[in-house]
Amino acid sequence: MSGTCSVSGAREACLGSRVLCVGAGGIGCELLKTLVLSGFSNITVIDMDTIEVSNLNRQFLFRRRHVGQSKAKVAREASLRINPKAKIVAHHANIKEDQFDVDFFKSFDCVLNGLDNLEARRHVNRMALAASVPLVESGTAGYRGQVTVHIKGETECFECQPKPIPKKYPVCTIRNTPDKPIHCIVWAKDLLFPRLFGGEAVGAEAEREDEGKNGGEDEGKDRSDIEVSERAEGQPAVEYGCVVLREVYGDAIARLAAVEDMWKDREPPTPLSSDVIAAGRAIVQGRARGGDDKVPTSASLALGLSDSHATWSAEQSAAVFLMAVEILLDGHADRVGKLGFDKEFPLSVDFVTAASNLRSHCYGIEPKSSFDVKGMAGNIIHAIATTNAIISGLIVLEAQKLLLRGLRQDDDGATLTPWTTFVQHNPTGGRLLQRIKPLPPNPKCYVCSKAQVVMEANTGLMTLGRLVDDVLRKALAFAEPTVTVGSTMHYECGDDLEEDERERYDALRKRSLGDLPGDPIGHGSLVQVEDFSQEMSVELLVCHREPREGEDPDFFEVKGEVKGQDGGRGGEDEPEGEGDSDSDDLCVVEEAVGEKRKGAGQEEPAKRQRAS
Amino acid sequence: MGDASAVARESQDKDKRYDRQIRIWGKDGQRKLETANVCLLGAGPTGSEAMKNLVLGGVSSYTIVDGTKVTERDLGNNFLMDKSSLGQSKAECCSRLLQDFNESVSGRFVAETPEQLMDAKPDFFDGFDLVLATQLTSAYQHKLCDICRKSGARVVFGRSYGLFGLVRISASEHTVVESKPDNVLLHLRVKDPWPELAEYASNFDLESLDDMTYKHVPYVVLLIKLAEAWKLGHGGNLPQGRAEQRDFKAFVRSQQRRRRGEPEGVADEGENFREAVENAHYLWSPPGVPSEISRYFADPACEEITSASSHFWVCMAAVKDFVAERSGGALPLPGSIPDMTATTDLYLDLKRLYDSKAEEDCDWVFDRAIQILSRTPGADPSALGRDYVKGFCKNCAHVKVLRFPTVRQEQEGFLGGASQSSYLQSLLLSEDTAENAFVYLMLHAADRFRQTHGHFPGKFDDGVQEDVGGVKSIVSSALSEAGLPTIPVAEEYVQELCRCGAGEIHTVAAVVGGIVAEEAIKLLTEQFVPLSGTLVYNAIRSTTLRIGKF
Ligand SMILES: [Zn+2]
Repeated sequence: MSGTCSVSGAREACLGSRVLCVGAGGIGCELLKTLVLSGFSNITVIDMDTIEVSNLNRQFLFRRRHVGQSKAKVAREASLRINPKAKIVAHHANIKEDQFDVDFFKSFDCVLNGLDNLEARRHVNRMALAASVPLVESGTAGYRGQVTVHIKGETECFECQPKPIPKKYPVCTIRNTPDKPIHCIVWAKDLLFPRLFGGEAVGAEAEREDEGKNGGEDEGKDRSDIEVSERAEGQPAVEYGCVVLREVYGDAIARLAAVEDMWKDREPPTPLSSDVIAAGRAIVQGRARGGDDKVPTSASLALGLSDSHATWSAEQSAAVFLMAVEILLDGHADRVGKLGFDKEFPLSVDFVTAASNLRSHCYGIEPKSSFDVKGMAGNIIHAIATTNAIISGLIVLEAQKLLLRGLRQDDDGATLTPWTTFVQHNPTGGRLLQRIKPLPPNPKCYVCSKAQVVMEANTGLMTLGRLVDDVLRKALAFAEPTVTVGSTMHYECGDDLEEDERERYDALRKRSLGDLPGDPIGHGSLVQVEDFSQEMSVELLVCHREPREGEDPDFFEVKGEVKGQDGGRGGEDEPEGEGDSDSDDLCVVEEAVGEKRKGAGQEEPAKRQRAS
Repeated sequence: MGDASAVARESQDKDKRYDRQIRIWGKDGQRKLETANVCLLGAGPTGSEAMKNLVLGGVSSYTIVDGTKVTERDLGNNFLMDKSSLGQSKAECCSRLLQDFNESVSGRFVAETPEQLMDAKPDFFDGFDLVLATQLTSAYQHKLCDICRKSGARVVFGRSYGLFGLVRISASEHTVVESKPDNVLLHLRVKDPWPELAEYASNFDLESLDDMTYKHVPYVVLLIKLAEAWKLGHGGNLPQGRAEQRDFKAFVRSQQRRRRGEPEGVADEGENFREAVENAHYLWSPPGVPSEISRYFADPACEEITSASSHFWVCMAAVKDFVAERSGGALPLPGSIPDMTATTDLYLDLKRLYDSKAEEDCDWVFDRAIQILSRTPGADPSALGRDYVKGFCKNCAHVKVLRFPTVRQEQEGFLGGASQSSYLQSLLLSEDTAENAFVYLMLHAADRFRQTHGHFPGKFDDGVQEDVGGVKSIVSSALSEAGLPTIPVAEEYVQELCRCGAGEIHTVAAVVGGIVAEEAIKLLTEQFVPLSGTLVYNAIRSTTLRIGKF
């Protein structure tokens, strides 16, 4: 009796193979289970996250009692219970750490990704290419998902198609002329929250300020230049909160409304009335206090506003604002100055909901519920168990084919062809699974095809620091870039630098490209960028030009960035980047998510007029 | 007081746990899920996978039916079983371990085979909202289908068979208000603006606007005004035919102002004018009543409202009256407008106009629905909430009615004889669908094989080749009876089928169980459109095919 079988020989292939499972979240949990039940017995799993309550609706290897523990470790133990004979190594760590170098990747037969952020996925793509290990990539969003297979030299790599770019909003819209709820939410999250309780704004969605106008000297200056008095010695937190409300929503709005130029074509905002502030304060002071002295976990709950789907009145928002200020400043005094917005931290959600709704109130924009604000501020991606389960099954089937290919050279290839498979959201509308043949490597891809990248920038203004941080690290996803022109090395990084080298590079970072010693970078310069950790190098051709009208003076455009090939699918339909769950450092690009219009999440870009 | 705060805390806790899925199906969908009582037949890999997904999602209760005991073989194949389970009831083990996944779901088990239950206690199925039936053969699928049509439970059948899988739904009727289509038509009413909208548009004096405002007049207003202007010069008619429609678009473009100092012909491109041209077709072909909705209007369920009619049909009847008596052919306004180039104030004005019209339409439909219920003997008008009517009006262009054929009807339809074979023939002849249509036939052949041989093909290692011959002869006689062709990979597929011996492979179980749970969630939340017909999953090719005539 043959009870368990598979693509013939698959089980044997699995038994002897070593697989790396990156991510132990929504897809990761399903994947580990499916792997151990399919005969994989040598598995390494890496995840840097700890378990949250909001994981429990799908990450089924975790229980409530595991909240706060390492995902990788708990997932390992749970998988071992399913198959005690498996050998599973768990790392509670970031995949980008040095210990996971190319040799580490070379020790696997196959890499399986269940990641939730683009940066890590791009990094793994490069490591897998450098190590010549096939990679099975995956992502889900709501009812939709996809699995892709990347084999060096044979199929396109993860970066052969352009990836959606996180959404940014113009600074003047955020600061002065919001006209959609999201603008007020971004303002509350990235500007006001850090101003009062942070910390630098992390993952700021507001476009970078046109800093650099002065040659980039004020690099890293505090962007949240919201004018607010500091809290006076001994001033009760609620009193201080009222001062903030008056200054930020009263005085500042009144000043802005008085700038006539700005309101030629639109209604100026209305300053928050002192009645609303007084009413909010009365609600806070009149609330029923619990008998215990514990710091409330939520400001809205402490005020009896328990329905997260309801929208608050302006007075209720003012009350939640004051309450959140009090709890944060007094109850979390030790963390003030270091706090950042965290969608799993109810007080920060309360604060951002109240602060954004008060701003919306001033600008005549509709208010949003805390549920909606949490989704929009946290870039939350829909996630359910079913899609992750389906995707995990598909990943393992692809992995089995990859392993069998290694063993069975004689196969005609039909059954072992790798497929890119999409799980559609509505099977009635078409087919539940849609498969396409993976494209060959894109010759224009700078990652796998060593294509040249063209960068347009104002070389008189762009600093080496901006080149390294914004172009090389952010746009091109290098981890540890080295910058060389001709025979001059302009920049290196890494832990093994000497102190004097580090100082020299820090000084160079502040200089503009045209002003670098030795071989300055100007129009027509060829810059060699190497990353030893990713074993990757790129030739960057620099084109100098002056900024166009209305463009950021310190603009840059990376043109060699891969464009879709002719006949390629351009990745338009992939629920890309959202691996298994949501992540703080990732902005969902709207086109990517199927149900977005119905859900609370993202909005269309506003077409309404902005005075800027 | 203490109780109230405990309730609030529990609700907050659930909000947190279910946050990511509430973002898909909303609080309402979650509430429906949390009141659902689900029965699982078969605690094997496919059944466990499917039920796991629903327990995680937070159904009210589950009942697991399985008459077998845990064997060594199950350990490597079912994530719910471990060594300590050996020899125990599979239903009990599965129930116990699933309970650990979500403390707010209550679970029980019945250690009998689903077949025994169906034969001996068909009333067992009363009281379930949904039955997940896994690994049932055709004969018992028929039986369960009949039982559940009587009890009112919906059934999702799921079957993993080696590298192949089947999923189908059985329910006499399923209605969906929130079908969440990918593309929604806009109901702008630019062709037939209601009085308030017409008045609002006519109040714009385009000539007198400054250049900035001119570029931010919403395109809805532009279209209404320019259509009026056009009518003046065309005997009161809107553009008719291609040529006039093209002329109208040119006319819209010509209304853009020239940038000061620019020569003739260089327009100061206004986004709003571009949008007006893009949406001009709403003037000559506005979305009326979709043909599907017209069919529902004519459905007996809509024409004869009784005390047994669902609120869905009561609303449908009221909307039908609305279209006939009130609006002159337009469905109730959904009450949302798309983003468009406009100043914030103008946009908000428009939004208010559309919203209040939508409320007004909804009031009319609600009143009519109450009237209908009031004159229906035995009906309770107070049971219908305005919220439901509002939701119905908002979505009424896209509501869906699904009536699933019984398993018997489907199988007789496809396999019953020459008269019905043209559909299956077309599937077998098309390169795109041939393999999976063959898989469908082959899995039926496997059931027929079991009926005659008492075991599934390939169950015994030394009889595999013999069974291959047996299955092939069943398949080819079925094909030739119905005058159908065979396909080139038939041999390979029959070999694969027999090699598996009806075993469940975990990867396939994960996929099939996931699909079963997904369809179950669509049925329970009454959102999205569930699968009609039978879905064939082919893991060899990584493809699916939906078989069925709709
Ligand atoms: Zn590439």
